[in-house]
Amino acid sequence: MTSPKTAKRLNRILAMLPWVIANAGASVDEVCERFGYTRRDLAADLDLVFVCGLPGYGPGDLMVAYIDEDEVVVELADYFANPIRLTPPEALSLLASGMALMSTGQAPPALETAVKKLQTAVMGVDDEALVVDLAEPPLVAELRNAATNGEVVRIVYTALASGKTSERDVEPWVVFTTMGNWYLRGRCRSAQAERVFRVDRIRELATTGESFEVIEHSASPEIGYTPGEEDVRALIRLHDYARWVADYYPVEIVSDDESGLTVRFSASDASVVARLLLRLGESAELVKGAEVHEALEDMRARVLARYGVIA
Amino acid sequence: MHKVIERILNLLAFLLTTGKPVTADEIRTTVAGYDQATDDAFHRMFERDKDLLRRLGIPLELAPTDGWQVEHGYVVDPDTYALPDPGLTDDERAALWLAAEVVRLGGQVAAPDALFKLGGAPMTASGEPLAASLTEGSDDLGTAFLAVVERRQLLFDYREKARRVDPYGLVHRRGHWYLVGAEGETTKVFRMDKATRVDVGDDVDAFDRPTGFRAADFIPETPWEAGADEMVAKVRFGPTMAWWARRQIGNRGSLHEDSDGGIEAMIPVANPEAFIGWLLSFDDNAELLEPPELRQRLVDRVAEGR
Repeated sequence: MTSPKTAKRLNRILAMLPWVIANAGASVDEVCERFGYTRRDLAADLDLVFVCGLPGYGPGDLMVAYIDEDEVVVELADYFANPIRLTPPEALSLLASGMALMSTGQAPPALETAVKKLQTAVMGVDDEALVVDLAEPPLVAELRNAATNGEVVRIVYTALASGKTSERDVEPWVVFTTMGNWYLRGRCRSAQAERVFRVDRIRELATTGESFEVIEHSASPEIGYTPGEEDVRALIRLHDYARWVADYYPVEIVSDDESGLTVRFSASDASVVARLLLRLGESAELVKGAEVHEALEDMRARVLARYGVIA
Repeated sequence: MHKVIERILNLLAFLLTTGKPVTADEIRTTVAGYDQATDDAFHRMFERDKDLLRRLGIPLELAPTDGWQVEHGYVVDPDTYALPDPGLTDDERAALWLAAEVVRLGGQVAAPDALFKLGGAPMTASGEPLAASLTEGSDDLGTAFLAVVERRQLLFDYREKARRVDPYGLVHRRGHWYLVGAEGETTKVFRMDKATRVDVGDDVDAFDRPTGFRAADFIPETPWEAGADEMVAKVRFGPTMAWWARRQIGNRGSLHEDSDGGIEAMIPVANPEAFIGWLLSFDDNAELLEPPELRQRLVDRVAEGR
């Protein structure tokens, strides 16, 4: 297979040519900005185009492409006057991103018209066949505002792991969603460290009146969990319908055979793993992990006690 | 790399202008870049080049070179090649770029490649304190989208059964991609990440989408609403977690607050397994009171692991 780099370069050439042909007299700066070129790379690509063309390959058969002072010139390349149609994954990815941002209610007006035009071009007029819904929970808009303006927030937060509720002052950096949940990444002043919070577990939110300096953080939609020294570890075997766990949690796959998918699970708190195992029931089993075993049995006993069943 | 690019540009220029199918032999003797190759080298090169053209979205087809169908050649139809111009303004291109920056489709970020085809845009960082990832944009998802757009049947394996579905629409909700479509007479919902061996049928416009169809109507907002059962569960949530239950139930059930700050809720349940799973995330801060058989099911599920 040809390398992805070659494919990308060719894709850019075949997109740049039609635009230059349609916008005669385009400046080098504009072409560079629009297609992410440096002047040098653009010149190199135009040099390539210059030696290509139709059989015969003499003057008049070859395309003409060069930089004239600050102008990009392309001639005799009319067969490349149209850009290539979008592939289905390309069209889907542009439409889905656009619709997702629109569903948060925070999209610029131009996005709405852009998506509508693209939808008409790609799918016909049918606009109910593709739906992307990020289901933004309460507080996301407030947190985004606070992040943009550098406002420190005070949150009442119930930790997923321990079930404990605490009050914390947080410098909010980025709000992101992945796997259907919303998260806040920021610096927790109480813990004096970077933390990730699940937005639906934030019970109350208020600004403190204090501010912090906004730095552009990478807005990567990843939880980016790295197991720490103190974390509990457990070996878990997943059967059939519990295999999704391997996609959702940062696990390390140990083996995958007839007995099931065996993964090594790390978490900051044993009860995270225990609760998951309780929910999964028969479709998962704990192979190894004393702390998790203890937490699981404790959780089981508490739930059963609630139901009047004596363990 | 530039040798490959030159060869492909020559090949594509030739294919877009010949107006008739051309055989591999003709290509070899006519197009610059192939002429020096040995038989073996030519075939390897040509296979790679065809693959590259198709990856870029170029419709390279095989067609008979004459009426007797003895010989086949390659053809690129310029009309199918060309992107129908959606007529975007620069503001709209910039907005699409911003959206693609903020919302990632799984691991693959094809955004610049796709946006170049639409005329490009200044690619500045969004600066938005917002990011979203739409679970795995696999090739299967692209295939399903193609089938929806071109109204072709979709064939795949799902829960150990081979399916043939008229795909009406795709919905992303709660971190999953769902396909809504008709299998036989029934409209069903499939989770795309559980579909394997996904392929499209040959015929375009193979079915009609029902008028007024709205894909989103088929995807419930909570997992326990996605099912065929019909029952109403009565649950008591303790005071410490009542706020969270209240937020999750929303207006999907009726709530009654107790004097201690806990709540009693009546919740419609269509998928008991999912409902039990959700209740267990409350540990012992929730108690399923009714119906009795559902209560027993929860107790059995918790007890069975002992």
